[in-house]
Order: sequence, then C-alpha cells, then structure tokens
Amino acid sequence: MLKEETFKKAQDGDLKSIEEICSSTWEAVYRFIYYKVQNRQEAEDMTQETYAKALSHFKDNSVKIEQYTGFLKTVALNILRDKWRKKKRRGVSVDIETIKPEETAVEDAAETSAQRELIRKALDSLNKEQRMVIELRILKGYSVKETARMMKKKESTIRVLQYRALQTLASILKSDD
Amino acid sequence: MDNNEKKLSEYIDKLNAEKKPKEHDNPMDSPELEELMDTVRKVRSLREPALPDADYPKKLARAAGGQLRQKSATGERKWAWLAGTAAIAAVAVLVLMLNFVLYPGRTDIVYAMEQAYKEVGAYHGILSIVETNLKGEETLQAMREVWSDNEGRYFVKELEGFQKGVVTVNNGDKKWQVCPNEKKVYVFSAFPDPYRFTLELGNEINDVKDAAKIKPVGEDTVAGRRASVFEILPKGGEAYRIWIDKETKLPLQRQRAMTNAIQYRITYTSIEFSDNIPGEILAYDLPEGFEEIDNNPELLVNNIEEAGKIAGFTPKVPENVPDGYAKDSIAVAKGMKATKLSYVSENKKSRVIILQEKATDEFKPASTAVLGKVGNNTAEIQSPVQQSLGVLDGGILYSGMADICSIRWQESGFEYAVIGDAPMDELVLFIESIEKGPVEIPSGEETTEKPQIKIPVDLGVEENEQKSVDAGHSPWKLDPVYVAQVFVSLKISPEGIEGDYPVNYEDMKVIKNNGIDAIVEISGNATPVRRVYLKKLIRQDSTGIWTVIGYDPVA
Repeated sequence: MLKEETFKKAQDGDLKSIEEICSSTWEAVYRFIYYKVQNRQEAEDMTQETYAKALSHFKDNSVKIEQYTGFLKTVALNILRDKWRKKKRRGVSVDIETIKPEETAVEDAAETSAQRELIRKALDSLNKEQRMVIELRILKGYSVKETARMMKKKESTIRVLQYRALQTLASILKSDD
Repeated sequence: MDNNEKKLSEYIDKLNAEKKPKEHDNPMDSPELEELMDTVRKVRSLREPALPDADYPKKLARAAGGQLRQKSATGERKWAWLAGTAAIAAVAVLVLMLNFVLYPGRTDIVYAMEQAYKEVGAYHGILSIVETNLKGEETLQAMREVWSDNEGRYFVKELEGFQKGVVTVNNGDKKWQVCPNEKKVYVFSAFPDPYRFTLELGNEINDVKDAAKIKPVGEDTVAGRRASVFEILPKGGEAYRIWIDKETKLPLQRQRAMTNAIQYRITYTSIEFSDNIPGEILAYDLPEGFEEIDNNPELLVNNIEEAGKIAGFTPKVPENVPDGYAKDSIAVAKGMKATKLSYVSENKKSRVIILQEKATDEFKPASTAVLGKVGNNTAEIQSPVQQSLGVLDGGILYSGMADICSIRWQESGFEYAVIGDAPMDELVLFIESIEKGPVEIPSGEETTEKPQIKIPVDLGVEENEQKSVDAGHSPWKLDPVYVAQVFVSLKISPEGIEGDYPVNYEDMKVIKNNGIDAIVEISGNATPVRRVYLKKLIRQDSTGIWTVIGYDPVA
C-alpha cells in the first residue's frame, strides 16, 4: 500500500519514492498499454511516457491515492489516442485536466472482457484452416515458414490464408460493434 | 493485393518480435490494411502480454524521475538521459570538490567513490590480471578490454591469456559470448546476470561499501597514476587491498590475499570515461560462419574469482595440477550455481573436469554406481557414467558417453565431482589435489559379507538373461536396486506384482557396491527382507547383469 508521504516525496523528485510508486503500479499500466499496442518495445516506451506525464502533472495537482492506477491508465489512454490522431495528421493534445480516473478504470475492465469474448466467438466462426493459421501465426507467434511447414502448405498460401482470415474476422467484429 | 498480404504478414512478424511496427508511426494509405492490422492486435490481445525485464520498474523510475526534473517529454526512448552529461568533466569537477573532504576513513572513501561513480555514464578500460606465486614470481594471466555503463551493460574482450579472443557482451536485451575457437556464439538471457567482470567499478565500490573494515595503508603509483591504498576486510572472507585513483576517486587496482599459494592482482592499465558505450559495441551480430547456440548451460569466465562471484562460493582449486595436465577453462554451469574447472592433457587426448556446487540434497549415489570413499564420505564411482545425479545433472549429458568416468561426493555442505575421459587413477590424482582425506576405490575383491539365506543360481539361465539384456531387453537388470526391488516384491507377492511394487525404490539403499558384489538394504516395515546380496555373475563391467545370490530376512 502506497503512503501519501511517498506521493509527496515523489512530487519533489525523490527517486526512491518514484521507484516505490513505479514498482507497485507499473504492471497494471504496462499491461493496459500492451493490450492496445501489442508489442513490448512500444509498451515500455509508452509506459515511461505515461509516468513522465503523470508525475509532471502530479507535481502541480492532487489526485487521491486510490485513484492513482486509474489516473495513470487514463493518461496512457490519452497518450495513445493522441498518437493515433497525430498519425492521422489531426494532432490533438492530451487534456489531462478532464481525466476522470474512476470511469476509465471501470470501463477498461468491462470493455476488455467483452471484447475478448467477441474475439473468441469470431475466431470460432472461421473455417478450420483459417482458424489454424490465425492460431499459429498470431496467437502462438510462429513465422510464416514454420506455419507453412506445420500446415504442409506453401508460404505464399499461408499469407493469402491469413489475409482472408483477418478479413473475415474484421467483418464479424465490425458487425458486432 | 499481393503487396498488402506481404505488408500484413510483416506487421504480424514485427509484433511477434515484440517490436514497434513502422505502421504505428506513419499513416497508411489503405484503410482496409489499417483495419486488418487493428484486427491483428485485437486477436493478439488474447495472448498474455510479453513483460519487460525484471529491472524495468527501476529503469522506469529513473527515466520518469529524470523527466520530471527536466520537465521535458519527447516521444523518444529516454533511458539515455542519465548518461547525457559530459562524464569526464563532471568527474573532474566532482573530484576537485571531493579533494577537500577526502581523508582516510570509511565513510569518506566510500562516499567519494560513490559520488564519483554516479557521474560516470560509461567507461572503457584495459585490465591486466597478474598472478603471483609463493616465490614472488609474476605471470601475466590475462589482458582484457572492458566497456561498462551504469545501466548494467558491458562488453569484455579477452586480449591475452588462455581465453584470448573470447568476447562477452550484455546489452540489456541479451547476453552473449563469442568463442572464436569454436566458431560459436552462446546466447544467454540478459537477466539475471549476477556478475559482470573482475574490478567492474560499480561492484567494486559496493564491495567496499559492504566491508566490515576499511584501513588506509599508504600511497602508491599504479600505471603512472597516484593512488591511495586501502586494506579492506569484507564481512566473511580474506582481507584484500584496493588502490583508489587520487584524481578520479575510482578503483584502479585490487590485490587479493594469497590463496592456494596464488595471489591475483587486477589493474586498470588505462581507463577513460564517456557518456555511453558506443552502439556498435553492444549490437548483436552473428559473425559469418559462426553458429548461434541458445540456452547454453555454461558461461566461460576468466578466473576463479569471477566463477566464485557468480556461483556464490569460492571453489576449491587443485593445489598442484597433476603432471601432464594443464588448465583449459573455467566456467559456471547449472543455472550459474556450479563451477566447472577443466583441465586437458598435454597430448589433448584426455580432459578432466572438476565440478563443484553447494549441496542441496542428501547425497544419494546412483543405484548402478560402485561405492568408494573420499575422506570419510561415501563416493559414487561410475565407469562409465550411467546416471547423472546431483552436480552431474547440469544439462550436459555425461551419461551414456563411452569412456567417461566420474567420482562424486559431498564434503562440508558442498558436492563435488571429478569427471573425465581419463583413467580412474588420474581422476583420483585430481581429487587428492583438492581433498585432504584418502580416496578409496574398491578393488572388486570378493566381499567378506555373506547372506544368511543363500539363493541357488542357475548359470545357464543367467547367461541367457545376459544375452537378452545385451539385446536390449530388461535393462533394469543392470541396476542392482531394481533387481533387489523385484526380488523383495516377489517375496511379498509370490503370485506376481500387479500395479505398484509393494516396496518403494526410495526405501532401498545400496550400502555396498564394488562393481562385482552389491548389498542393498531395505528400510520400512512393509518388507520381510532387510538386505539383498547381489553379484555380477556373467560379466563384471557396466554391461553385466546383477543376480540375487542371497538375503537377510527382517530380524
């Protein structure tokens, strides 16, 4: 359990307190970001950016301790959204003042669980070959070459199969939205 | 369409490699492709995320804390901010300040070193390791080039010595060792990596910090630099001397106490400081013609001290290497818990290895082993090695290899094994070089112990049994414990054994095995038999079957 004093010290830049906060909260934040970006490199960088932004904001404002993880997730979400927007050349900066951490935390858990259920259902509706290629390539992380060997198919066939399987999945998931 | 299939496939590959795809930064011109990539991420979210290395929270705190102080947040990777100072200048400024406060005494020297080291982003040095014997004769054991930074990354290249050419690198993501002689690159996980290299500044300062006593003993000049000399008494262990550069306030040389008639002196013959280690030094690149070996169970080290630091104990070293043999390598194996000293004969035909680790279990010899003694301790003698137990069980397959013999024993909380493709008497010489007590190897003479009840034996039947085992059937007949277990079980259930044996294999202990005769003792109340006497009647080597020749009933 983090103490209020730790947060105060962290605001003053005390490395030990920042370490304490990071070590007790980082995993939830990292997992939240990873869930969206699906790669370790980006998740590590964005987690770092999240803490830098949150701590910086925290220096001038006060957030209840129990809401801290929710707050961090919301900062992370805003950074993510901002990045996607910037990518589409419609840059909008994060408005950290409007964050309502308690809402983000609840929405996040419910949303994630529902989304997973939808994805599983969508996977079940693929034909056997398509499901297998998705399982091997995306869920188990095999290369095209390995997948081709396991499914006894050409590498080019695997690429076509996975493309079509993802098209089918995308259309199922879109109709569920 | 073909192009999109390829792009999508490469996108999946990138995520599988846990790297950021370029598509996450750049806008895509195909909305369909973007949607499919989004679908890939959604599907992939069913997987458990790849978590960072164990030191990530610390790195995170340092980086985030640094940014908090700097109040600048860009989107780049920011680990390097700490090293972003001009280290040499900073060290010099700091040293000027510290010169006023440094006087002999524990707190001040530790403080001075800590403060000086804090300002060092990275350093590059040449280390010499000199060995001195009892007569005071010095030999240069090794020269190594080292790079190290304050985030645990390092590069070590052996310039001279018996491991010349070997390069060891940990770049934070992976650790690898390039062995040019073998044309192999061994890859290890970057974490945990308990020890970097001898006289690594960070570790050295920590050792001094944790010492029980620090005593100034004078001044000296090392590699043309003035240094203060301190005697350090660690908590446990022998006292040693350390030379601290008067200008940089960082360790320059260390000399261990004389152990096993040898003393080591490690010196930075040159050292320079920089912001960070050049990227190309830490980049993993498999040299052409080299084979990459993943999950290598062994890590080569330069000296006994490094081996000891990694394994967590100081291994015994032969006082006198038996004639005709020379030291070949020092390694740490078995999850970095066992030390492995290798020796090779002059004609390079025989190799002997001394394995050592902290004993974790009660000593239990292999059931097929001959039993002897090292000092007062039971020794497992295998010729050839048939079962790899205890310190032999380290991911390296010794068993089943022809002509490999071993002697294994425990002594004062440690387990040892001497193993090699050398004659048994040469293995004994190695044991005698590290153990004081006598080594007893059974000569295979007739045992004087006789069973209370003899079992008649039909040699014709046994000869046929031997042929059957030679053909690959019933291999359990080569194991005296199994043969005894079947015998006792049939005594309990003469009609035959169904399901589990009525006596457990674990309740049976070989109390004698000289390679020809064996006695197995059975504990517990479930047995009517206390001791089973066995003999190799047909062939007296490791391929000979055991036959029960008698037993002692429970009294």
